Amino acid sequence: MTATTAPDRASMATLPGDSGVWFFIVADMCAFAVFFLVFSAGRAAEPALYETSRRMLDLRFGLANTLILLTSGAFMAQAARTAQRGDWQRTRTLLIVTMITGLPFGLSKALEWSAKMAHGVTLTTNEFFTYYFIFTGVHFLHFAIGIAVLIVLMRTATDTAKPADTRLRWIEAGGAYWHMVDLLWIVLFAMLYLLRAA
Amino acid sequence: MSAASVDTRYWRFCASMGPLFVLVFYLCWGILGHNFPPFSPDAPASEVATYFRENAGSVRFGMVMAMTFAPAYGVWGYSVAKVLEQVIEKDSIVVQLARVGAAWTVITLLVPTSFWLTAAFRPEALPDWMIQMLYDMAWLLIDLAYAVTSVQLFAIGAGFLADKRAVPFVPKWLAWYGIWVGFMFVLECVMPYFRNGAFARSGILNFWIEFLIWMAWVPVLTAYMFKAIGRIERGE
Repeated sequence: MTATTAPDRASMATLPGDSGVWFFIVADMCAFAVFFLVFSAGRAAEPALYETSRRMLDLRFGLANTLILLTSGAFMAQAARTAQRGDWQRTRTLLIVTMITGLPFGLSKALEWSAKMAHGVTLTTNEFFTYYFIFTGVHFLHFAIGIAVLIVLMRTATDTAKPADTRLRWIEAGGAYWHMVDLLWIVLFAMLYLLRAA
Repeated sequence: MSAASVDTRYWRFCASMGPLFVLVFYLCWGILGHNFPPFSPDAPASEVATYFRENAGSVRFGMVMAMTFAPAYGVWGYSVAKVLEQVIEKDSIVVQLARVGAAWTVITLLVPTSFWLTAAFRPEALPDWMIQMLYDMAWLLIDLAYAVTSVQLFAIGAGFLADKRAVPFVPKWLAWYGIWVGFMFVLECVMPYFRNGAFARSGILNFWIEFLIWMAWVPVLTAYMFKAIGRIERGE
């Protein structure tokens, strides 16, 4: 495949991707910021309950999920860089690798949730687990949408009917979204699994 | 498209129905009906019933007005769909979804409002638990019918993102904001599990944030609709 060089945007002081997608990302992160505030307020009110519940989480799942998403995110960053160079076939390959390395997150989450439910821990067990299931559930929804976005981007990368700058814009926008999924998980991991109550 | 080919009569009138709906709904359904904010789900039945008995007249008036003006949301939604037709093909499924999403939303406003009205119709003859049940039932329906409005939000967002004009009718941030609002509504799914806290029907997330981000979207989008109608008339 001929490498079509994407427009030189070095001199353009713009956000990578699409400005509208960045608005969505910022709005979404604001929503998660409210989640974190609500959780912090709850933990401050009942530190013992939160600490006992936190110890019931399996740190290995949290750590594995973090490593999975960070690995996948690293491939996504590579895909965006390759797209900037106009190597669309390699970009597509890297997007496939991004998805393949990210998919075990879904499996890990399913195993973790089923293990909790098998032990009788559900959404209504206590306030900590309410937040645990809702926050990780909403995050999982973001992850699932991210996988769908990656599938669309795989087609976009090699869609020669689309101009190079359009393809690059959408791959960067998808990359920004995928990194948001990483970032939100890192904060969730720290907040739910690691942070000890004072 | 030439200026003469688009008949924009009544479009502005219909577009103005959106902010009018928000204002009337806030005052009548929200304030008079004690829904802004609502009673907490863990409030005793006697508290809800006492309010309905002592304020039956104002609740009835509020709900009658809310039901009368609920179709204004649909009228507004149709005007947005007309503008959307100037962005993408008239027969596009996106335009149709934007239109029916608005129409379906009207139903999800009318039906629960009738439950609150029922509670206020003869509250002196109803036991406390029954008034509370009607109040709960109305809230469960109005919140859990979120997906209907999400259809409209997603369709409008996706439709206006397809605008190829140098200066689109609706800025990208607003199109994405609408999609985000539709997405945020998913949180309503957990509302039935909580009687207090952030995710309860009166909580910071499932009431204050969810309702305010939607109610803000309507007048902001309307302002851009007015600008778009002017541009359509000028043939831009």
